[in-house]
Amino acid sequence: MNAFALMFLVAGLGLIGWLTARSRAARFDRGGAKRLHSLPAQHGFFVAMWVVLPALLFVAAWGAISPALVKQTVLEHPAASQLPQFDFERDALLAEASRVAEQPGVAAFDPVAQQLVAPTRAAKVRYDWIGTAGAILLAFAGGAYAFTRIRASFPARSSVERGMMLMLLVASLIAILTTVGIFLSLLWESVRFFGQVSITDFLFGTHWSPQVIDPARPGRSLGAVPLFWGTFFIGAVIAMIVAIPFGLMSAIYLTQYAAPQVRRWMKPILEILAGVPTVVYGYFAALTVAPAVRDLAVAFGYPYASSESALAAGLVMGVMIIPFVSSMADDSIAAVPTAMRDGSLAMGATKSETISRVLIPAALPGVVAGILLAVSRAIGETMIVVMAASGAANITLNPFESATTVTKQIVDLLTGESEFDSPKTLAAFALGLTLFVITLLLNIVALRVVKRYREAYE
Amino acid sequence: MTDAPHKMTARDVSVFYGEKQAVKNVSIDIDMDRVTAFIGPSGCGKSTFLRTLNRMNDTIGNARVEGQITLDGEDIYSSGMDVVQLRARVGMVFQKPNPFPKSIFENVAYGPRIHGLANSKADLEEIVARSLRRAGLWEEVKDRLNDSGTALSGGQQQRLCIARAIAVDPEVILMDEPASALDPIATAKIEELIHELRGRYAIVIVTHNMQQAARVSQRTAFFHLGNLVEYGDTDNIFTAPREERTKDYITGRYG
Amino acid sequence: MNNARATQSTQAQERAPTDWKTVAMQRRIRKRYRAERRFRFFGIAAVVLSAAFLAFLLVTMVAQGWRGFTRTEIMLPIDFPASGMMVERAQLDTAGADLALAGAGLENAVKSAAAAAFGPGGESYISDNAWVSVRKAIKHDASVLDRKTQMRVPASSEVDQAMAGRGTSEILAAVAKLKNAGLVSRHLNLDFLKVSDSTDPVAVGIWGALKGSLLTMFVTFLIAFPVGVLSAIYLEEYAPRNRWTDLIEVSINNLAAVPSIIFGLLGLAVFLGSWSLFGYRVGPLLPRSAALVGGLTLALMIMPVIVIASRNAIKAVPPSIRDAALGIGASPIQVVFHHVLPLAMPGILTGTIIGMARALGETAPLLLIGMRAFIVTPPGGLTDPATVLPVQIFLWSDEVSRGFVEKTSAAIIVLLVFLLAMNGLAIYLRNKFETRW
Repeated sequence: MNAFALMFLVAGLGLIGWLTARSRAARFDRGGAKRLHSLPAQHGFFVAMWVVLPALLFVAAWGAISPALVKQTVLEHPAASQLPQFDFERDALLAEASRVAEQPGVAAFDPVAQQLVAPTRAAKVRYDWIGTAGAILLAFAGGAYAFTRIRASFPARSSVERGMMLMLLVASLIAILTTVGIFLSLLWESVRFFGQVSITDFLFGTHWSPQVIDPARPGRSLGAVPLFWGTFFIGAVIAMIVAIPFGLMSAIYLTQYAAPQVRRWMKPILEILAGVPTVVYGYFAALTVAPAVRDLAVAFGYPYASSESALAAGLVMGVMIIPFVSSMADDSIAAVPTAMRDGSLAMGATKSETISRVLIPAALPGVVAGILLAVSRAIGETMIVVMAASGAANITLNPFESATTVTKQIVDLLTGESEFDSPKTLAAFALGLTLFVITLLLNIVALRVVKRYREAYE
Repeated sequence: MTDAPHKMTARDVSVFYGEKQAVKNVSIDIDMDRVTAFIGPSGCGKSTFLRTLNRMNDTIGNARVEGQITLDGEDIYSSGMDVVQLRARVGMVFQKPNPFPKSIFENVAYGPRIHGLANSKADLEEIVARSLRRAGLWEEVKDRLNDSGTALSGGQQQRLCIARAIAVDPEVILMDEPASALDPIATAKIEELIHELRGRYAIVIVTHNMQQAARVSQRTAFFHLGNLVEYGDTDNIFTAPREERTKDYITGRYG
Repeated sequence: MNNARATQSTQAQERAPTDWKTVAMQRRIRKRYRAERRFRFFGIAAVVLSAAFLAFLLVTMVAQGWRGFTRTEIMLPIDFPASGMMVERAQLDTAGADLALAGAGLENAVKSAAAAAFGPGGESYISDNAWVSVRKAIKHDASVLDRKTQMRVPASSEVDQAMAGRGTSEILAAVAKLKNAGLVSRHLNLDFLKVSDSTDPVAVGIWGALKGSLLTMFVTFLIAFPVGVLSAIYLEEYAPRNRWTDLIEVSINNLAAVPSIIFGLLGLAVFLGSWSLFGYRVGPLLPRSAALVGGLTLALMIMPVIVIASRNAIKAVPPSIRDAALGIGASPIQVVFHHVLPLAMPGILTGTIIGMARALGETAPLLLIGMRAFIVTPPGGLTDPATVLPVQIFLWSDEVSRGFVEKTSAAIIVLLVFLLAMNGLAIYLRNKFETRW
């Protein structure tokens, strides 16, 4: 039985448990007490909880370990002795057998795999039955245990609420698990990468050409400095040159000058810019902006301009970031007390003098934090550079030339056809780790600045 | 009472917030050498009226002012009136001290800088020092002019705001409950300061503390529900009010 | 006294009152107003240019994309009795009709009809799938098989491009001739929404990708919404202030800003990588390229968005309501589920829709977990290989054939319509249920 059907079955059993327990609780002898501690429905939830939770936990755990058990059983089959000893090839054949076993009427390409189809299928069926039976048994056992406990004086509500609390806690721990999961998985693959490539070659090498890797010294063509430079140049320089003035000035105009009517319309319109998917920006950058930038460069007398220039990707990325900078600036300016603005206006300062000499300096920490977050978003942005930037790793200051970024290389490295353990694939994880650490640092600094700034005005 | 022309006059001034009328047909004169106090229960329109005198109501989206207000005979709501100049001439001190998050020196120097009042750095320093002296703050801060203005105590902050207003060399100073956020000692200092500033500037102070009005002002205006109920010499208002409502208010029957 | 003396001492160096009427002062004020107007102009310019960019982007997409919803059709004269096709009439009313017509050589009959009508090479004027629409017509009315008739069939990509003025001079001339004869024309074609990917730009559609997107969003919602809301409740209502809680908060705030591609790496390593568990190598936990993996990955990505929005919504419910409920003896759990949560729900839903919109437009993490396959048949379930709309856009944008440009833009229009609808719904919810306490 597949996992979904099993979950439905368990849920159905839970419903039955809920109904029976509720009707039983409704008939309790109140024994003189005016009220029961818990309502009948709460007794029902208590039983349903005991039916569903242990069974579901078992299904989840079984789902994780049964493939390993199936594999173990198949390997004990006599035909398995013909399997190649080498891990990678053996796993490929086993995977093929497993795939065929689930699709009746299809034959495996490899004869050894074909021999293993029947045993695989048998093992799968057997472990499936064990899993199903185990889940149903646990559901009944849990239900029975809970059912014996409910009586008029039983505080079912407290037990159910303790269970709910536990659920809430587990839900909030998923955030930590995800963070730890990201960090560990990136770290794990990166450690394997740095087992093959020296860390200094990677961090300080200036030559990046993963297409041609010398197996003897893979680090020679995996120096990531050009990537770091390209990422910085496109995301933190070109994009910010667009996003900071535009974002800041629109926030200032919309909060300080615009009539409420204008503000009510323009603010959501600018927010749409942030809601446009990055793949659309990427397509636009590649199809419309990049050729225009190239023509512009040629018109300026620079005939060697790349049609995948850093400028095109950076410009479009900057536009994408405008609403982000704008809303951060909006928030920080709004957090400056009105009294300060009034104080300046009351002395005869013009609006622009008030804004540039009082409001912006007062809001500066918030604005700076917003810019840090914007940079972190820009350097992590993927689709625009994948579609509009080049794959050629140059270190250049010329915005009309091509530059590549960390995110673009991650996608290129992982979408090609290559085995999982090669330095080329693992390099993507090392790049990912670098990106993760840098954005994390930027965020921590920014959030701390924002927090301190908020406190200053509270 | 002198025959000299009034520094500011208001004739039939009404203020609306959208549909709601907050000030109703108020007429009042403000003279140079006096402190004028506006008293009345909260929500009576006295602060709103005060803000019309240097057009700070312009900063509130839906506020509308009718009637005529003049400064030295010039209509301040006429199209020819320059708001920036007006506010430099009619300064304002707010209820809550609102120093800029800059140094003490920069707080006071801000006004002279934007209006271009100082010819040189030495001149600017002199204006700052004089303003701080006049606000009675000089002795306390002269050694730490570069400290942040927000690091001062509440009373000091308020005197800093007064110094900031003085530095632009205004003719009228509007004070919107300047001592309501302060402790009694700081309040006494502010009141003493108002005494000293009197004569150099026309001062208008809004307060809901009647003793304070009696102590610092020569003229008192009593506002109620947007109306100017009674306006006259402070002594008369407090000892022999003409209107029943004024009497009720100052004897503490409501408000 | 001290103050008084200080005032006295400055009296001597009193300066003249500021004269605002001097020429210098007036000039200065005029300059300040010019600066004011300049500043204001920059502000307007920033807003207008940003909005103009958005308008330009949308106009470009619509201008290129509207052709994607149409197709060029060509009038094909076809003489069935002369084609030599042998069709069992009886089978045409049965389920075997498709097979019977294909077996009777309909495809070749249609091609030769095209060659006969448009001269040598004429079969390249009609789409490879043209015979499918002929088949449809026959199934609709079998009597056409007895006569010479004319039928509108989809034209090939070359003819289609030539209609837009692109192509070699031969094809342009040929198409111009057909056009003058009134044999070729463009028509609205909603097959684009009903069929899936193909190698032929005139035959592609987005249904497969759209269905993949819907399946992925289903998984994302199923995971991210309950987990996000429950953890928001825990953090806002019950969590004790301690280091663990701080750690959870820091994790959530930082996850919200982690680049999306990192989640792709996580999905690749955790869901699709091989693990070593108690000495066994556990193969990929989940099938590659499937909506299930995509949905899980995106759920982890948007969960922080939902948590943060839900916390703000819960925080906005005034404490007086909690006190009132606690005061009549409700348990803390009842307070939250009976009172706080219903009141916070509009805010929570708004945040969830915004998060889902973000997931719907996301591309990069899905590329890494292999949802970039060439999907001709729409996925039937959560574990089938699938692709999603944004990835489909990415894949088509890489195609060299000019016909894909308009199809890419058309797919973008569909994606934007979905996103605008979701964001519009979120704004509507926010405005309708916004409560000031």
